[in-house]
Amino acid sequence: MADEKFAREYGHHLVEEVLNGHMTRRQLLVRASVFGLSATAIAQLLAACGSSTSSSSSPSAAASGSALPAVVTGGTMKAVIPPPLKALDPVTIYDQGGIVLVYQIAEYLIDLTNQNALKPKLAVSWAPNAKGDVWTFKLRQGVTFNDGSPFEAADVVASIERVINPKSGSGALAALAGILSPGGTKAIDTHTVQFNLDKPFADFPYLVSASSYNTAILPRNYAGNFQKKAVGTGPWMLKSFVTNQHATLVKNPTYWGKDTQGRQLPYLDQLEFALVTDTSAANLQLQSGAVDVQPQTVFQGGASVLSDASLRVDVYPSTGIRELAFNVNKTPWQDKRVRQAVAYSLDRKAINQALYGGRSNLGYDTFWEPTVFPGSPTPPARAQDYTKAKQLLSDAGHASGVDVTLTVANYLENPAFAQLIQAQCKPAGINVKINEISYNAIYAGTNTTTPWLNAPSVIVEWGSRPTPGVYAQAMLLPTSAWSSSHWNDKDFVTTFNQYESTTDEATRTTLASKLSSIQQDETPIVVAFYISQLRTQKKNVYNIQGPGSFYFDVSQAYMTK
Amino acid sequence: MARLIGRRLLLMVPTLILVSILVFALAEVLPGNLGRSILGPYATQQQVDILNHHLGADKPLYERYAVWAGHFVTGHWGASLQLGTPVFSTVMRALGNSLLLAGFALVIIVPTSILVGVYAGLRRDSLLDRAITISTLSMTVIPEFVSGVILIVVFAVTLHWLPVSAMPPQGAPFVDRFYYLILPAIPLMLLELGYIARMARVGTVQVLAMPYIRTAVLKGLPRHRVIFGHVLRNALVPTVTVIGSQVGWLIGGLVVVEFLFVYPGIGNMMINAAQFHDVPLLEACVLVVAVLYMLSNLIADIVVALLNPRIRMGG
Repeated sequence: MADEKFAREYGHHLVEEVLNGHMTRRQLLVRASVFGLSATAIAQLLAACGSSTSSSSSPSAAASGSALPAVVTGGTMKAVIPPPLKALDPVTIYDQGGIVLVYQIAEYLIDLTNQNALKPKLAVSWAPNAKGDVWTFKLRQGVTFNDGSPFEAADVVASIERVINPKSGSGALAALAGILSPGGTKAIDTHTVQFNLDKPFADFPYLVSASSYNTAILPRNYAGNFQKKAVGTGPWMLKSFVTNQHATLVKNPTYWGKDTQGRQLPYLDQLEFALVTDTSAANLQLQSGAVDVQPQTVFQGGASVLSDASLRVDVYPSTGIRELAFNVNKTPWQDKRVRQAVAYSLDRKAINQALYGGRSNLGYDTFWEPTVFPGSPTPPARAQDYTKAKQLLSDAGHASGVDVTLTVANYLENPAFAQLIQAQCKPAGINVKINEISYNAIYAGTNTTTPWLNAPSVIVEWGSRPTPGVYAQAMLLPTSAWSSSHWNDKDFVTTFNQYESTTDEATRTTLASKLSSIQQDETPIVVAFYISQLRTQKKNVYNIQGPGSFYFDVSQAYMTK
Repeated sequence: MARLIGRRLLLMVPTLILVSILVFALAEVLPGNLGRSILGPYATQQQVDILNHHLGADKPLYERYAVWAGHFVTGHWGASLQLGTPVFSTVMRALGNSLLLAGFALVIIVPTSILVGVYAGLRRDSLLDRAITISTLSMTVIPEFVSGVILIVVFAVTLHWLPVSAMPPQGAPFVDRFYYLILPAIPLMLLELGYIARMARVGTVQVLAMPYIRTAVLKGLPRHRVIFGHVLRNALVPTVTVIGSQVGWLIGGLVVVEFLFVYPGIGNMMINAAQFHDVPLLEACVLVVAVLYMLSNLIADIVVALLNPRIRMGG
């Protein structure tokens, strides 16, 4: 079959790239997962590269999983998460509470490893054609939904077509716009699906993975009543859901998943979620012993939890950011030297220390950041340099300083970040006036009026995105739905299209370097850090998987006495 | 008396209409819109517009109000736009929780406050009176989130004597709920104790200075008969009024306590509904709380009238 031939050839190509020093082994691991190579095939490729076949875990996963005690089956695990902001519906969820709950019940074609690489779930393999605009997915056989109906290609077609229908209101539409159009998803047979893309897109598998959380696979006849009748193929079934109070899930006795020793998953009998809005109250729930785990511990206000000796904290190098966007259509941000001056005014280490206790990874205003996206070219670091910042301002005609307004939502650590920017920019002559508004207000209005897309400069919070390309597609192109900077650089756009159109890793690496360089030089946005996520649990809780708070995989988790 | 009650009940109707109009108008000026709240920041504008049209959120304000009011008065409260659940049962469940917490708190607060206040009034200017006055005054200025956090850290996190949450696990017997309500009731008691006890103290001091109390003492009535038969009856008139005004707050205004102790009451629900532009749920919550507020004040007035014949006679 052509796809298998492609996969084989692509595998050889990856090995050559590693042997020639064009790629790291970690990069091979990630790219091989994108092109649907099996775990066995990847192990063989790594062996061919002369490496050990074991993949490195994240530090957190190692901490959580090292010296694991014997598996204990049964029992109930209690977790505390924020309540879903709206009625549970996989098609339209967008918040942590909703995503975590849906993730237990419904599954995706592809899931994420702790390192943000792809791993097969309902799809066992996937591969593009040579051009990269047709992707063929082989589906897992013998899977049934928890209502007994069989999982087939027609369910995948219906699920994907549903989220790209504007009437569904799904956030996945914006991510897939210009890449996959209605009618582009076809069932080849009962267990093969083909995606005919609008254009070649090398990162397409991520767009139908768990990272695109609205693409959960639901029965073909799904009618939007998930909260009452939660049908999915996942390891858990919804037993009860009381709005803003709690959710109880029980194990799906017909779940297809088995562990490496052939034992039925999940190990636990029951999951209970306390739905708590206030982070202080959630922390106290954990510290009092009322719950066993908190999938996301917020650093602000979480000091007592993080220092509690009875708890274990896992740190996940997430790709979430706080985007500081400069609207290039508004004064004084048309001039890139002013944007660069802000970038050189920031002491990123101090910001990381103040906001996250130094736990996050530093960013240098580009998405191609190797500490969080393995294999990306290393960008030049941007240290605080007031001399350079003043010179840039002077060259831009602002020798006596410049007044700017920064809009920020009164949400999470955003106001504190704004204050740090304000304080650090002042010595350079950049006088930042902070316009702090409510979370609702910053997203209010239409595309042409909403502050987050129209303020002169704004801080926007972004959850994890799986690749630099997905980030860029979302906010750095003139066609991006969520571009707060309104940046439109022809060279970047052309290079980006080439980057997403090629499967040749050497070419991709070269193009990535160019994209990173353009983005950093132009500085339409400041990416000062990639936020590490903290997961906190009792010390008798083991083997929770998944990268960060949204992907809370407890199918192989267990608790000792 | 019947006329008083009838007139007050009739006055509730225009008040509720005015409140409903105000809430509708205020919800309009809140930032954001319904479609965006439901679909989130990552939905496209086209998707938001389609949903707003589908929900009728793009129609003029007066038209939406007329439709909503028509349904509401005929008993069709609709479904929450945020939660997808029926408004009536959702509000009633939250109201039940709030009434239970308020009732539990009042059962502790009212007798304690009156006892402390009257006792301080009877021992006017003594060391004990000053101690009670200063301590209750101090407690009223401690915000609930401060006292609540301290109580949780001490009694739930450190000592593990009481649960951190105000709701028992699913399936627990109903009586367990009172055990879970002990901790959240304490910050409320600390707050209310100061107001009610001070009012009871002032009332007691004032009544003790009245000539009829001196007459009662001089004619040789036992002290307990003077206090229970003459002092309390008159001293508690202003106290009852204060209690009546606090009942509404205890039912609909416990947002901080509900947040901190993870309690699904109606105060929390109102805040969420307002933030989400969930007007059907918001209107129902506000109107229910408004009715309770007015009823509690009415009941307080009736009690005052029963205690004071001059008010009763004056109608």
